[in-house]
Amino acid sequence: MSLRVKGLTVSFGGTRVLDGVDLEVPRNAVFAVMGPSGSGKSTLLRVFNRLIEIYPDVRVEGEVYLDGADIFELDLQNLRVRVQMVFQLPNPIPNLSIYENVALGLKLNRLARSRRELEERVRRALERAQLWDEVRDRLGSPASKLSGGQQQRLVLARALAFEPEVLLMDEPTANLDPVNTAKIEELMVELKRELTIVLVTHYPPQAARVSDYVAFMYRGRIVEVGRAGEIFTRPRNELTERYVTGKI
Amino acid sequence: MSRRALVDKAGQALVVALAVLGALPVVLVIVDIYAKGIPAIARIGLVEFLTGLPPTPLDEAGGIGPALVGTLVMAVMGAAMGIAVGFPLGVYLGAYRHERLAAVSQSFINVLVEYPTIAVGLFVYAAMSLALPAVNPVLRALLGVEVSQFSGLAGATALAIVMVPYVAIFTASAYASVGRELWEAAHAITGDEAKALFVVLRKAAWRAILASFLIGTAKIMGETAPLLFTALGNDYYYASPHEYVTGPVGAVPLLIYYMAQTNYEVQNEVAYGAAAVLITLVLAVFVLARAASRR
Ligand SMILES: Nc1ncnc2c1ncn2[C@@H]1O[C@H](COP(=O)(O)OP(=O)(O)OP(=O)(O)O)[C@@H](O)[C@H]1O
Ligand SMILES: [Mg+2]
Repeated sequence: MSLRVKGLTVSFGGTRVLDGVDLEVPRNAVFAVMGPSGSGKSTLLRVFNRLIEIYPDVRVEGEVYLDGADIFELDLQNLRVRVQMVFQLPNPIPNLSIYENVALGLKLNRLARSRRELEERVRRALERAQLWDEVRDRLGSPASKLSGGQQQRLVLARALAFEPEVLLMDEPTANLDPVNTAKIEELMVELKRELTIVLVTHYPPQAARVSDYVAFMYRGRIVEVGRAGEIFTRPRNELTERYVTGKI
Repeated sequence: MSRRALVDKAGQALVVALAVLGALPVVLVIVDIYAKGIPAIARIGLVEFLTGLPPTPLDEAGGIGPALVGTLVMAVMGAAMGIAVGFPLGVYLGAYRHERLAAVSQSFINVLVEYPTIAVGLFVYAAMSLALPAVNPVLRALLGVEVSQFSGLAGATALAIVMVPYVAIFTASAYASVGRELWEAAHAITGDEAKALFVVLRKAAWRAILASFLIGTAKIMGETAPLLFTALGNDYYYASPHEYVTGPVGAVPLLIYYMAQTNYEVQNEVAYGAAAVLITLVLAVFVLARAASRR
């Protein structure tokens, strides 16, 4: 297992947002998390890299293991290198250059031993995110000059540059056009050979296209989880069925 | 026109009139200073004015050289110290604004901005009298120098204290206005909170931060009161540069303060010229700050 979650409960100032979540995410798979708005999908994702801890008044209880290691015992720098994230809105640092956006995380975490290695890793990350050909001639120009779809692939490159074990994707295509959406979806299928993807999506057809497993959340609980094929063809839970058929 | 539209128009006219009325004194002061200052500098000659010694009542002309050097030295030192304290403080206030201690500190800083700057000068004066007897023997042993009761260091320290709340408040608001997306991005790429705040978000908010440094610097360049009991003033150049730190130094606002009060025309003239130079310096820094925050 890549991620193993036991009895995970998260509350914000006394309000429970996740309520006893148990989950196992296998390696080299795309694991989709679905569910209505406010059901706690983004919160769950932000536990995996402990990004949730930047919010005030948050309380996290339960156990989460990354490749067998308790993430709350792991060094936070180490965890954030191993578990990277792509967000709903593309969030490069706007005034930094395309190159710097990818290089910064590597520098901060001392992941490249030389300038050459750094440049090499930036280039490889941009290639893996299928952005290299579009930006190779203007690596020095500000990230804010890129289109939304390009920015989203840029932050994907930023994440991939870490060579993470787990990639968290929180509705990564929610703001993209069909062409850019298809690109990201193709990438997911390709990337899972090297890493594990946890994908939050609102869109059942997307989960059906790219995911191997699906968990369905409702009000902070996992209602149903299983292989994608089964969830979409034979949902056991009535809520899941209504969701995948577009009724909620 | 309907009654309502009429009232609306009248209201707008009133607002514009009030705005003009509010800006008028500032504009008048600037115009007056340039109107009297530029001819003064022209008569004396720009280079002579910027480098010469202040005139005694018997001189025909003079300049602001030592005061200008003092202002630049103390502005640089004061800004460096003010930023060194104010910036991290502002980052803390901005990043932890949801926490009680930060909120309390923020209101404390808001009061400090309004604190009379002459009291800051007195405070530094008192601190110097207490600290110097202990510090000077050490300095003498290590560096062979001593800091006197009135010094560039004391002046710069007072200016730094004046500057800290400005930098802290502007920096805090720069950090507070960073969107949730960037805030998350910064922490997602490093688990070291100090790096997320002081490297990633500093880069992300750099223009606003730079503007806060510049506005703070412009503010302290024009300060007189905090220097009265600290830098004291000095009409002469020093032979060795370190004395601008250890000994009493002049400053352009101090020179204006002294020279504008006398009954000697040549000194009043130099005061106006000095005011024109000072305003130009301050305006230039403000324009830089605007440019930094705009683009
Ligand atoms: N930082 C926070 N502080 C307080 N409450 C929060 C915070 N983040 C999320 N919540 C609350 O937790 C609940 C779950 O939010 P979450 O963002 O995880 O839902 P979601 O399933 O991702 O929804 P969506 O599909 O709309 O993105 C919501 O009720 C939300 O208001
Ligand atoms: Mg969400």
